[in-house]
Amino acid sequence: MFGRYSFLRETLPIIGFAAAYLLFSYWFDSSYYKLILTLVPIWATMGLAWNLLSGYSGLVSFGHASFFGLGAYTTTLLLVKFGLTPWIGIPVSMVVGGLSGALIGWPTFRLRGHYFALAMLAYPLALLYVFEWLGYQEVAIPYKRENGLAYMQFADQFGYVVTATLMMVAAMMLSRWIELSRFGLALLAIKQNEAAADAVGIDILRAKLKAIILSGAVAGAIGGLYAIVLLVVTPPSVFGMLTSAQALIVTLFGGVGTFWGPVIGSVILIPLSEVLHAELGHMLPGIQGVVFGFAIIGVIIAAPEGLFWGIRDRFMPVYSGRGREAGSSKVLEEASLHRTKPTADAPVILRVSNVSKNYGGLKAVQNVNFDVPKGAIFGIIGPNGAGKTTLFNLLNGFTPLSTGQILLDGQDITGLRPNEVCRLGVGRTFQIVRPFMRMSVLDNVIVGAISANENDDMARQQAMEAIEIVGLADSADRLANSLTNKELRLMELARALAGKPKLMLLDETLAGLGSGEVEDLLHVIRFIAARGVTIVIIEHTMQAMVRLADTFLVLDHGAVIGLGEPADVTKDPKVIEAYLGKKWANRA
Amino acid sequence: MGELAIITENILQALAAGLLIGCIYGLMCAGLGVIFGVMRVINFAQGDFMMLGMYSAYYLATSLGLLAVLGPFFGPVAAAIITGPILFIIGIFVHRYLVTRVTGVQVAGLEGEGHFAQLILTLGVALVISNGALIFFGSEPLSIRTPLSRTAWEVGPLFGDAVSIFINKARFVGAAVSVLVAFGLYVFVTKFRFGKALRAAADNPQSATYVGVDVDHAHRIAFGLGVAITGIAGGLVASYYPFQPYVGIEFVIVMYAGVVLGGMGSIIGAFWGGLIIGLVQQMSTLILPTQLQNTAIFIVFLLVIFLKPQGLFGRNAERT
Amino acid sequence: MLEIENLSVAYGGLTAVSDVSVTVGKGEFVAIVGPNGAGKTTLFKAISGVVPPRQGRILFEGKDLLAVPAFQRAHMGIAHVPEGRQVFPNMSVADNLSMGAYTEEGQRRHAEILDMILSLFPILAERGKQLAGTLSGGEQQMLAIGRGLASAPRLLMLDEPSMGLAPAVADIIFERIIDIRVKAGLSILLVEQRVAEALESCDRGYVLETGKVVLQGPHQTLLEDKRIRQAYLGM
Repeated sequence: MFGRYSFLRETLPIIGFAAAYLLFSYWFDSSYYKLILTLVPIWATMGLAWNLLSGYSGLVSFGHASFFGLGAYTTTLLLVKFGLTPWIGIPVSMVVGGLSGALIGWPTFRLRGHYFALAMLAYPLALLYVFEWLGYQEVAIPYKRENGLAYMQFADQFGYVVTATLMMVAAMMLSRWIELSRFGLALLAIKQNEAAADAVGIDILRAKLKAIILSGAVAGAIGGLYAIVLLVVTPPSVFGMLTSAQALIVTLFGGVGTFWGPVIGSVILIPLSEVLHAELGHMLPGIQGVVFGFAIIGVIIAAPEGLFWGIRDRFMPVYSGRGREAGSSKVLEEASLHRTKPTADAPVILRVSNVSKNYGGLKAVQNVNFDVPKGAIFGIIGPNGAGKTTLFNLLNGFTPLSTGQILLDGQDITGLRPNEVCRLGVGRTFQIVRPFMRMSVLDNVIVGAISANENDDMARQQAMEAIEIVGLADSADRLANSLTNKELRLMELARALAGKPKLMLLDETLAGLGSGEVEDLLHVIRFIAARGVTIVIIEHTMQAMVRLADTFLVLDHGAVIGLGEPADVTKDPKVIEAYLGKKWANRA
Repeated sequence: MGELAIITENILQALAAGLLIGCIYGLMCAGLGVIFGVMRVINFAQGDFMMLGMYSAYYLATSLGLLAVLGPFFGPVAAAIITGPILFIIGIFVHRYLVTRVTGVQVAGLEGEGHFAQLILTLGVALVISNGALIFFGSEPLSIRTPLSRTAWEVGPLFGDAVSIFINKARFVGAAVSVLVAFGLYVFVTKFRFGKALRAAADNPQSATYVGVDVDHAHRIAFGLGVAITGIAGGLVASYYPFQPYVGIEFVIVMYAGVVLGGMGSIIGAFWGGLIIGLVQQMSTLILPTQLQNTAIFIVFLLVIFLKPQGLFGRNAERT
Repeated sequence: MLEIENLSVAYGGLTAVSDVSVTVGKGEFVAIVGPNGAGKTTLFKAISGVVPPRQGRILFEGKDLLAVPAFQRAHMGIAHVPEGRQVFPNMSVADNLSMGAYTEEGQRRHAEILDMILSLFPILAERGKQLAGTLSGGEQQMLAIGRGLASAPRLLMLDEPSMGLAPAVADIIFERIIDIRVKAGLSILLVEQRVAEALESCDRGYVLETGKVVLQGPHQTLLEDKRIRQAYLGM
C-alpha cells in the first residue's frame, strides 16, 4: 500500500467513477431523485471523513457529528447573519472543522479505548443542547432570487449533485493519497500496535492529531454543503446520534480503512433508505432505521471489516510472489563466524547506572548497573518474573524510571519517549509479533524505516537492505499472512533493523522455535552484530544463549546476581541457586 | 416571603427532586453496571431496552388492566416489576443469538479484540429496536397517568411559615421501588452463590473458570439481568415522564455518566453514580436554564473521564 | 488417576508441548520441572481445558477430559492454582474462599475444609474482610492455594507457586504444600522452576525441556542426575 501517488493509476479511476456517476444522475428529472443523488456523495464524503480518523487509525469515534454540525452552522450563520456566500462559507466551515478536531483531539487522545469512544459520543450531544439553548432551533437559508449562483443556489438541482460529487472526489483523492503516504503507514502501524509504533519512532500524538484535523475539516466542509442543500438546519439533524451513526454505518458496511468503502456503502445504503422511507414511510415510519440496523448487524457478524474487504479477501490470492521458505544461507553462516568480540577497551555504548523501578511497595528492578561495549552481544537472563522485560521497558522509554540514569553513547536518554529513543538509534523487537497481514513483507518492514528517512525511496531502500540482512530477500513480496513463525521473527528483526539502529533490544526472539530454526536465527543475530550493531537480548533458552552471548547479566527479583562470561556465570552458586534452588547450589 | 426563604426553598426542592430522580437513575445505571462490570461490553442499546421497558409497563398497566385491578399505587409498580422478567428474556435472546457472535474466543483475532465489534453490534440493535418501536407503537408520547402523577405531598411548612417542599407522589413511589430493587440486586451479588459467581466472572474470568463457573453462561445471565433492571427503572420512569420510541438516546448519556462516575466495574458504584447524576441534573437548574440541564451532566461526565477515570468506587481505569 | 498420553499442544502458533505422557496415581505427589518456555504452564492449561490440544488424550479417573468443557473440570475434582496467583482482586479474602467452594462437594464440606485452610494459613483468617488485591504476594499465593483446596478436589494442580516470591516466603509455601499432602490426602501435581525443593518433596518427577519430557523417575534418582543441571544452565 505504501507507494507513489501516480496520477494515472490513482486519480483516473476516481474521476472516471465520478464522471459515470454524474452521467447517470443527469438522466433523472425529478427533484426528489436529484436530492437522493446529492445525498449519496454527501454521506460518502462524511463517511470518508470518519474513515480518515477511525478507519485508518482504529480510534473509533462516535462523535463526528460535532464537526459536521459545526460546519453546517458556520456556513448557514455566515450566510444568514453576514450575507457571506457559501462559496466562501464552506471553506470557512472546513477550517472550523479542522480546528475543532484539534481542540477535541488534544485532550481526548489521552483516553484509552472505551473512554475515548464515550467522550467522543458526549461532544455532539452536548453541542446539540447548547445550540438549542442559543436559540438556533431552526435556521432557514434565505432564497436568493437574483444572483443565485453566487450564493450556491442552483436553478437546476443538478448543480448540487455536481458540487457534492466534486467534494466527494476531493475527499477520495485525499484519502487515497494518505493511504499511500508514510502518514497513512504510520496510522496503520498505530492501529496494529501502538507500543510497537512508538518504539519504531512514530510520534503517536502528532499522527493522531493530524488525522483528526483532516477528518474534522472534511466533515465540517461537507456539513456546510449539507445545510445549503437542505435549506434548513436544526440541532438534532446535524448534531444528532443518527448523523454520527450514519457516517460510521456507510463506512463499516462498505469497507473500513479504504477510500472505496464509504463510497460503496453510501451508494448502496442511502438510496435504499430514502426509497424505503418514500415508499413505506407512512405505513412503517422509521423503516430506514430498521434497515440500517440490520445492515450493521449483518455486516459486523459476517464481514466485520465491510463489504470491500470481505469480497476482496475471498477473491484475492493468499500470497503473491514465490512460495519458497526462507532458508539459512551458507553465506550468512560463514559471515557470522567472522564476527570478532569487542576488546576490553572498546567504547561503552550503553551505560545503565543505578536503575530502579518501584511499583508502590514492589521493587520490580533494583539498582541495576551494567555497561555494554560497542559491538557486543549482551544477554540478559533470569528466572520468570525476574524483571527482564521491565528492564527493557525502562531502557526503551515505555516505563519511567524510579531512580537511575541511562546513557546511550554518552547521551542521557533517561525519561525520553520511546519514539525519541528510537530516533537516537535504538531498535526493539517485541514478544508478540503483530504484522500487517494484508501487506507484503517489504511494506511491513518499511514502517521501521520511515521515521529515520525523510525520503520515501531511501526508506524503501533501507527496508530492502534490512530484509536482505535477515535472509528474507526472496520473500520480500510475499504477504505477511503466509509467513511461518520463524519468518515472522526474521521480519520483526528486519523492521527493527530498518531504522539503522546502533543498538538493538531483542525481546525473546527465540521463544518457542524448534532447534533448527533457533540455529538459523542465531546466525542472523551474529551477522547483524558482525555489521557493527550492538545487541542486547533477553532469552530463556539457555542452551542457545550460552553460545550466542559474550556477556551475561543475570537478574533475580529485579536485582543483578551475576555478570560475566557464560562459563563463569553458570558456575556461580548464586545463579545456580536462583534457577535450581538453594539445595542444588550446595550440591554443585 | 423573604429572598432567603425563596432561595432555600428552591434549593431544597431541587435537592428533593434530585434525590427522587437520582434513585431511579441509580437503578438504571445499576443495570448497565451489571453488563459493563461483568462483560466489559459498551451496550449502546441499553437506552432502547429501557424504552421497551417503558412500553411494556404501560401496556401491562393499561391494556392488561393492572392499573384497574391493583389501583394507582400498586398498579404501576407491579407493571414495572413484571416488566423485569419480560426484558430478561429479551436480553437473553439478544445475547444468545447476537452478542455471542462478537464476544468470546473467536474474536480474539479481530482488531481491538472485538470491543469495536461489540459497540457496532449494539448500535445496530439500538437502531432496530428504536425504529422498530416507532413502527410498532407509533410516535405518540405516552405515560402511565394516574392520580399519583399529578399530586404531591407537601413537606412543611418548614422554618416557620416560609418554606414548603412538594414531593410528587408518583416519583416518590418510583424512587422507593428503585431503592428496593437496587438493594435486592446488592443482596444478590453479595450473598448469593450465583451472584458472587457473576462478580468472580467479572473480576478474573480465567480463575472463575478454574473454580467451576461457566463464564459464558454467567455473561448471558448478566446481560439479561442488566437489561431487566434497566427495564424496571424504565417502567418506573413511565409513571411520570412521557416517552416515545426515541427516548432511549436521552438516557444513554445519563446511564454512561452514572456508570463512569461510579466506577466501571462496580455494580453498586453505578447506583451511587446514577444518584449523583440525578442530583446534578436537578440542582443544575438552579444556576443553568432548564434546556442546559443535560449539558451539566456532560460536563460532569467529561470531568470524571479526564480527571478520575476510575470513578468513585472503581478499579483500574481500563482493564485489558 | 490422571493419565496424559502423547499430548501435543500448540499455543500462539508455537508447538509448546510435544508428545508428552505423564501419569499421577491416587495420592501421589508428582512434580514437573524444567526451564522457562519448557511448556509446563501450557500443559496445565491443557489439563484445565483453557487451551485445546492438537493431539493426544487426557484421562481423569478413566473419563476423557477433552470431552468436558473447562468449567466442568472443577466439578469433577480437579483444582487448578494458576501461575501468578490470579485471585479475585476486588472480592474479599472470605469471598475468594467461598468462590473456591463453588462445587457441590466444596459446598457440602465447606465448614470442615475452611478449618483446614485456616489452620494451614492463619493469616487468611486475620485478613478475612480485606480485598484480595491488596494482599502481599505471599498472602495471595496462600489464598490461591486455599481457594483451590476449598473445592474439595481429588487432584490439586499447582502452577509455579514460588514465582515472584521472595525465597523465604517461597520456603514457607513449600512447607505448607507438604503439610497439605500429609493432611488432606489428595493427589498433587506441581509445576516448579525451583528444582531442588520440588524434587525433594515429590514422589516422582518429570523434567520438561522445550516441550518434551527429557527425564523422568522417582525423586531420588532425579536428584542425583547431572543432566538436570544441563537442562537448566546449558552446560
